[in-house]
Amino acid sequence: MRALEDLVALFARLPGIGKKSAARIAFHLLKADGQYAALLAERIAGLKDRVRFCSQCGAYTEEDPCPVCSSPARDHSLMCVVEQPQDVLTLEASHEYHGLYHVLGALISPLDGIGPDALRLDKLLERVARLGVSEVVLATNPTVEGDTTALYVKKVLEGSGARVTRLATGIPVGGDLEYADRLTLARSFRGRTRL
Amino acid sequence: MAFNRIELRNFRNLEDGAVNTGASSIFLVGENGQGKSNFLDALYTLSYGSSFRGGQDAEAARLGEGSWALEGQSYDPEEGLGGPRAGLFSVRWENGLKTIRENGKAVSDRKRLVENNPSVIFCHDDMEFARGEPERRRFFFDQTAGLVSAGYIDLLRSYRRTLKARNAALKDRMISVLEVLDLQLASYGTALRKERALVVAFFDEIFAPRYEAVSLLGRRIGVQYKPSWKPDEDDDAVVARLAAARERELAMGTTMSGPHRDRYSFVDEHGDFSLRASTGQLRLLALTLRIAQAEHYSAMSGREPVLLLDDVLLELDPDKRRRFMDNLPKGEQSFFTFLPGEPYGDYRAADTLVYWTDHGRFTHT
Repeated sequence: MRALEDLVALFARLPGIGKKSAARIAFHLLKADGQYAALLAERIAGLKDRVRFCSQCGAYTEEDPCPVCSSPARDHSLMCVVEQPQDVLTLEASHEYHGLYHVLGALISPLDGIGPDALRLDKLLERVARLGVSEVVLATNPTVEGDTTALYVKKVLEGSGARVTRLATGIPVGGDLEYADRLTLARSFRGRTRL
Repeated sequence: MAFNRIELRNFRNLEDGAVNTGASSIFLVGENGQGKSNFLDALYTLSYGSSFRGGQDAEAARLGEGSWALEGQSYDPEEGLGGPRAGLFSVRWENGLKTIRENGKAVSDRKRLVENNPSVIFCHDDMEFARGEPERRRFFFDQTAGLVSAGYIDLLRSYRRTLKARNAALKDRMISVLEVLDLQLASYGTALRKERALVVAFFDEIFAPRYEAVSLLGRRIGVQYKPSWKPDEDDDAVVARLAAARERELAMGTTMSGPHRDRYSFVDEHGDFSLRASTGQLRLLALTLRIAQAEHYSAMSGREPVLLLDDVLLELDPDKRRRFMDNLPKGEQSFFTFLPGEPYGDYRAADTLVYWTDHGRFTHT
């Protein structure tokens, strides 16, 4: 059954989907009603046409500028810098942040040949100056590359007048010490702060 | 934790199947090349996720096979097999990929193995620690620190990753990125230097009296840590040092100072002891390092490691053998390998399991 095998092979190329899961999804679609399968196919086909990057912040959007950049209700003096467009969705889901975003698009990684030129840094500087941003929150992941990028962005923003901060890391709020894994505890000790 | 049963498939020259190891000491007796050390390697792999011989995972597959698998049932002897800390650990290598599982669930970091099944190996290659290759000595002390601290392993990994990134940036002449990587390297590196100094200070207190007890040398041999960055250099001083060496490092394409260049030495009042020591004294020094590693682990964690002793008594005269055995720390469980002519009966305890090893097969005697 060529059609089924092709579909399984295509699903198996998706991140986090192995061959078994791919086959399960394909069989599920085969059993599902035709309307559902048609809607899914239409949405997948139209995804690249409908969703693009915001010309300002670089997040995914269906309208340019995106709703966050064009919202007067957002705090335009605050800008959160993230690596990937999907990071914006994660932070937005928390409903705790009301400023603007800026997506870098990559992290500095000399091992992979990625230097600062691959990041949307000129646009960041331009936006910080134009919007009069007073604080830039660096929300790159707490990895070696995330830290390198955060330190680099801090250096680039020197002289911009904006205060540069970094998201805190450590024991999750509300998390009990006894449930924290050893690595989280070790990092929390290393990054302990003065009271 | 101790191992109650080891299951093997396609691992080196060992026969497929399960071996019962539910005892406080297990003796593997056999001629050379029969699989005694390979069995210890299986235990080591279940403890560290890789072979004590180094090399590629593919090399552990039996000739002509494209995969191997190990499974170990471990338990706390005080709690028994039904205890809360009992678990099933497996390491499997297939299609070039290694997977580690704990009670059937995939584990992403092999650090999880050593947290559960810490072991200390005594083997012939330990002579490298005594003879003085700096890289091998750093490996030994990193392993000693990593056995008791997940944070140390994390710090060391972060330092190494930053170092690799910095070396790549030096080669590609990414000058603006280098300024940032200097800050990171200094931060991770000075933290690592502090940890290493603490570990050595404590380790030295364990090692020196033990070495005196087994060698009867009559003078103190201690461990000295010589960091590449001076102990009084703080982060700012290190950043300044790195900036000052920029041109030279750009020309060389590599980072020329830092914890990856730290040195350890064994010293008496006259200086570096390993330069003057006899082969026998170096052999004892290597064995005592492992004794101290096991004691250091017990002192820091409150638990005992599994001891893996590969032909360690072979090169010692009867007096030194006795002193070594007298000073051997208590392990949760101990595995020894012996040649048939050795007096292993002298070391046997009431519950010792003795296996005759022949062509990768273990026969209970």
